[in-house]
Amino acid sequence: MTSAPVTVRICHLYPSLFSVAGDRGNLFALTQRCAWRGIRYSVTEADVGEVPDFTQADLIMMHGGQDREMTTAARDLAAKAGPLRAAIEADAVVLAVCAGYQLLGRHYAPPNGPPIQGLGVLDAVTEGGPTRFIGHVAVECDLGGRRRELLGFENHSGRTYLGSGAKPLGQVLAGAGNNGADGTEGARYREVYATYLHGPALPKNPWFADYLLSRALSHRYQDFGPLSPLPDQVEAQAHAAALRLALHPATKWRAATAAVSRIGRELTGASRG
Amino acid sequence: MRTIAGRPPARSGESNAPAPSSSQARFALALAAGKVAGTASRVLGVGGGTSFPGAAARWVDPHVLQKAAAASDARKVVVTGSNGKTTTCRMLAALAQAGGLRVTQNRSGSNLLQGVISAAVQATDLRGRMDAQLLLLEVDEATARLVMPQVRPDTFLITNIFRDQLDRFGELYSMAKMLESVIEALPASATVVLNGDDPLVASLAPQAPAHRLYYGIRADSCEADRASTQVPEHAADSIRCVRCEHLLSYRAVYLSHLGDYRCDECGNARPALDIAVTSIRPSPEAGSEITVETPAGTFPLQVPLPGVHNVYNAVAALAGTMALSLPQSLEPAKTRHAMAGLRPAFGRLEEIRAGERQVVLAFVKNPTAYNATLREVLQRPGRKHVLAAHSNTAVDGEDFAWLWDVDIEQLVPQLGSLVVSGTRAEEVALRFKYAGASPAAMQVLPNRSAALDMALTEAPPGESLYIFAGYTPMRELRGIMQRRGWVPPSWKE
Repeated sequence: MTSAPVTVRICHLYPSLFSVAGDRGNLFALTQRCAWRGIRYSVTEADVGEVPDFTQADLIMMHGGQDREMTTAARDLAAKAGPLRAAIEADAVVLAVCAGYQLLGRHYAPPNGPPIQGLGVLDAVTEGGPTRFIGHVAVECDLGGRRRELLGFENHSGRTYLGSGAKPLGQVLAGAGNNGADGTEGARYREVYATYLHGPALPKNPWFADYLLSRALSHRYQDFGPLSPLPDQVEAQAHAAALRLALHPATKWRAATAAVSRIGRELTGASRG
Repeated sequence: MRTIAGRPPARSGESNAPAPSSSQARFALALAAGKVAGTASRVLGVGGGTSFPGAAARWVDPHVLQKAAAASDARKVVVTGSNGKTTTCRMLAALAQAGGLRVTQNRSGSNLLQGVISAAVQATDLRGRMDAQLLLLEVDEATARLVMPQVRPDTFLITNIFRDQLDRFGELYSMAKMLESVIEALPASATVVLNGDDPLVASLAPQAPAHRLYYGIRADSCEADRASTQVPEHAADSIRCVRCEHLLSYRAVYLSHLGDYRCDECGNARPALDIAVTSIRPSPEAGSEITVETPAGTFPLQVPLPGVHNVYNAVAALAGTMALSLPQSLEPAKTRHAMAGLRPAFGRLEEIRAGERQVVLAFVKNPTAYNATLREVLQRPGRKHVLAAHSNTAVDGEDFAWLWDVDIEQLVPQLGSLVVSGTRAEEVALRFKYAGASPAAMQVLPNRSAALDMALTEAPPGESLYIFAGYTPMRELRGIMQRRGWVPPSWKE
């Protein structure tokens, strides 16, 4: 570990535009887990019309909004596209949630209205669906050579389909995930982590919060070692409760019916991709 | 009997011809079933009969609400919105009674379809006649779509639209769209009463034929500005212009996104207020002293409940009353007396004597309501002993992400003790931990009864225990306190 004070630089995109249901919980998780370890942090907020210096960001986060807000953000993102793409190619860590995820893909085609162009960083396209996927989700992730569960809540009508250039963040154990059909959830590219698990997913998944923090610190400091452990009993209980909720019979029933309809579509040759 | 379901029901005003006798008979049977169910549930002591009678009546006749409403010449008012429905209805009922109307309403926040039907059934005799002169219905936002075409109200009042259980309603704007279609279906003879300070509510269905009344706060040089800021708090939503999506600028923000707004881009601004609060001062009694300018004159009112959200409830109620043609004219003195005599609705910062301790029970269902409650509680002196409880149920929803939009950080420095409870106790504990509460000083007891006992033990005699709870745990905790003889049953209020 370096002897000089260590600082992680967080850039929060569209903090007021994209904050639908408790999304700031993710920010609280990152900053508190830094503070508890004596790691310094800075948070730069960049809303519509503001282009931050992305070369000075170790961790960029962008959350969800409704279709209306998404259109506004998509227009604005065009002005941020160049430096944001450069930062991603330079391995800055990005956490993108819901609409933030969709905007990093190629495009989002809402059910009514013209398609919204995305940044195209992720090889993914999203279509608006007739129904919303709402419910608890459990995802199995394989990050940093370890298999762990990512738990949370999804609420989206977009169906995202990954191309060959993007890896999923994980496989759905319960819930719909990217599209309710192919069993994938979220997307990864370099150090970009995109997910439909909204808002306060990081507090109840401290391993994922710490994974993002350690990747962000590695982005800035080459010799940065592992993070010191924290007493995470409250987090562990919340994680266990979220897993129980996700694996509740009602959730599994939804997953099962989705699987049956998927098989049905495959049998009738009506699968999409 | 099979033909009845497909037949459009008789509508009042079209003709006075009696409905087909089989339809009538079914209606009478449904009323009887509802009444028997209501008596039975009260006698058996289950639920106080707030939704079971409605379920029974509707099972017998799916059109029972439509028929009861059509058969009655009572004025009909439907109140909906995210926050303040129950208190607004209580105030409106008090003002209408002072104006000479006999009022029937659905009480105790039973605002889903069955609760609404229960109220209508109980107010209607077996021959289909309604004794009340005003049928006042508090209706859940998502239920408005079902209730409105059946009740056909003369007045439709919308308090505000906040993000409230997004997992149930989908998105904010789809709910706004649903309310728009409901407003557009109202005839020109109806009045829609809208919160002019809510940018989303004020802009609903501008082309609709119904008459519009806007209410709000126009406090130019008064102490409301002390409580208000120019920057909406974190939980604020719909702060972008509904027309052009530019960020709205506020001359004053009174609560969350409610205030005097305008869009510098397209000029969209708060409409001229028909009924406006022009001054707010703290009342020496409790709550606020307010002045309301209306087309019928100036009303100085004492709002007996604390907080600017109750100022909004009071002016909404006064605006709703203005929309009715009352048998007696609305006199300022009589109105003042009626308003000042109100008690909080159950669970709305309700003060409960629990032996040597005082319990303050607060029903918190979304960030705006929670933040308004916290603001009120934090002004009180002393350490805060807290019991916080949330459960995932059909009423309370599954997603408690919104807890992260509540400014728990402001409560933590004043915490004396903390017990968390409910079926989502772990999520509540996590929220408090990341707000800075020490996990060592926090007790997680999902069982409501055990949690209440522990929280009372933690609060020394002479101090207050503050309970912040979602709907279901609030009802459960109140039920426990009721069995201990500390509070009356909610349906007797």
